[in-house]
Amino acid sequence: MFGYYFTLGLRSLRRNRALTALMVLTLAVGVAASISTLTILHAMSGDPIPEKSRRLLVPHLDNGQVDGWAPGEKPDDVQMTYQDAVNLLKSGQGERRTVLFGTEMPLEPPRKDMPAFSSAGMAPTRDFFAMFNVRFLHGQPWTEADDARGADVVVLGRAMAEKLFGDANPVGRQIRLMNVPFTVAGVVDYWNPRPRYYKLIGGDTFGGADDFYIPFASAIRHEAGINGGMNCTTKREPGFAGLLASECTWLQFWFETRSSADRADLQSWLDRYAGEQRKLGRLKRNVPTHLYDVMEWMEELKIVGNDNKLSVWLAFGFLALCLVNTIGLLLAKFSVRASEIGVRRALGASRREIFSQFLIETGVIGLAGGLLGLALSFGALALIGMQSTEVAAMARMDWEMLGMTFVLSVAAALLAGLLPTWRACQVTPAIQLKSQ
Amino acid sequence: MLRMTNLSKVYRTHMIETHALRGFEIDVREGEFVTVTGPSGSGKTSFLNIAGLLEEFTAGDYVLDGVNVKGLDDNARSRLRNEKLGFIFQGFNLIPDLSLFDNVDVPLRYRGFNASERKKRIEDALAKVGLASRMKHYPAELSGGQQQRVAIARALAGSPKLLLADEPTGNLDSQMARGVMELLEEINAAGTTILMVTHDPELAVRTTRNVHIIDGQVSDLVRKGPSLVQTPVTA
Repeated sequence: MFGYYFTLGLRSLRRNRALTALMVLTLAVGVAASISTLTILHAMSGDPIPEKSRRLLVPHLDNGQVDGWAPGEKPDDVQMTYQDAVNLLKSGQGERRTVLFGTEMPLEPPRKDMPAFSSAGMAPTRDFFAMFNVRFLHGQPWTEADDARGADVVVLGRAMAEKLFGDANPVGRQIRLMNVPFTVAGVVDYWNPRPRYYKLIGGDTFGGADDFYIPFASAIRHEAGINGGMNCTTKREPGFAGLLASECTWLQFWFETRSSADRADLQSWLDRYAGEQRKLGRLKRNVPTHLYDVMEWMEELKIVGNDNKLSVWLAFGFLALCLVNTIGLLLAKFSVRASEIGVRRALGASRREIFSQFLIETGVIGLAGGLLGLALSFGALALIGMQSTEVAAMARMDWEMLGMTFVLSVAAALLAGLLPTWRACQVTPAIQLKSQ
Repeated sequence: MLRMTNLSKVYRTHMIETHALRGFEIDVREGEFVTVTGPSGSGKTSFLNIAGLLEEFTAGDYVLDGVNVKGLDDNARSRLRNEKLGFIFQGFNLIPDLSLFDNVDVPLRYRGFNASERKKRIEDALAKVGLASRMKHYPAELSGGQQQRVAIARALAGSPKLLLADEPTGNLDSQMARGVMELLEEINAAGTTILMVTHDPELAVRTTRNVHIIDGQVSDLVRKGPSLVQTPVTA
């Protein structure tokens, strides 16, 4: 009977056209408001690397001072010192590990017709590319030996490679960074996860792709400029060497474990490491260490702000308001069909059949509302995206949200249809048949 | 076919109790064409609604084609209504935005027939009432008499045992009414039991017998009519 009722539902759209149009529009506006805000939230808070997000772990060691600190307080910073980063890199813990920081430096193109310009990139270790599933268009990551000796090699982002070399494969070619020649080892294909979960501190969380990647050791050796946050709670010696020897936190670190079950072992090791550092007098606060997986890390850093969550709640509140209106419109639409209900009941329809028929009709209205809501959502997202390129990158509907639009619309319509449908079932056929 | 014993129907409001039927007794046998007459407010419609399982009764017993309907739930009553009864109303009660084909299709859908069976029954039923060529038309495109014929086709399509007609000619002019009445007589002659409420004494005399209701009770049962079935007069 579903097909029969669905067909009746489609025909019913043509009945009381103004009322139907009003219902579909009301539903569509509510759905569009909800879906457009939900799309932004979904893009911001979705798991960016579901296949291994539970195995990618950020370690945190609190190296803050004890003066003015009360136990239980949040740490001053969740980044890492150079000393700890180097120790963790050497630890051999996890299957892979990388430290990274953002950097910005002058880049001299190989082309004479193109002047030098400032370029933003990253300084990780070789493992970074495998850890975050970075795909290569040309070449490959630099070698472990390059990491060890801080070789002057560079991996370019695709956009930067095309800017500098056009469509040609630039592997083996040279560019100059910080006035030093760097050999191109590879080109990363378009890769720009949003949010940039691998580097959530230091701005550009929803920014564009990195122009280049150079080995961490090379960046340190050349004293590359730091493009990111830094927190120093004690005095440090001047200069880059002073920074490296200090307790300033400015690096981000990631472990990748073989399985999520290995997290406990890594946590134990980290606790032991922190204990050793406390004995050495480096870590002052006697607080537990932490490991955060990708989603925990995003939650810890509040990537999705309360404003975003509030806007979704408000949008759903608006949808609820639309539903109340839809309930009223459905009551009006169904009330004029009391005689039809009476006839159908007389001809053998049970209350359950009437309920099914009218609920499916409501579902059809929901589908129509979903279609219009989808169009309105695209429009709303386009308007939202006009705020900035970062927001525009978030305001894109994926297949999941597209499906969600219809699910939400039909579910909302069915919810709105429950009361009118129940009332339709209560029609007394005898009265309707006589009164027609 | 239909037997009601000591049946009563009471409508209650906060203030008033109205006895629509009291101690109501009737026995309609298979093949009969029975007219039900009586003044307005006598209980004719209540009787027909209860006979058609559209309303519950307050007390007594009602057996329809061997099934005691007392205490049946909505699903069972609906199934029984669909399988055993056909309805013809004074106001035709066709669904305006369905074609004649789809109107006749309605009870067959609830019966669960497959598409080919439904199509055959619809075509046969519309052919029987002389409207086979207009099955794609809509009710508004037909005259009152034709609409009533469609309603009869709809009632017949499911091969009901009992046809309940509530003043089926009440909204028709005399010529159309005569045509509809002749059609009902043909249907009855073919073996379908008919129970018809009417105000028209001329129609009442054409049927097997006439049940007269006054104040919710059967007052008298009159005469053998011209129908094929000869039935004894019972109270």
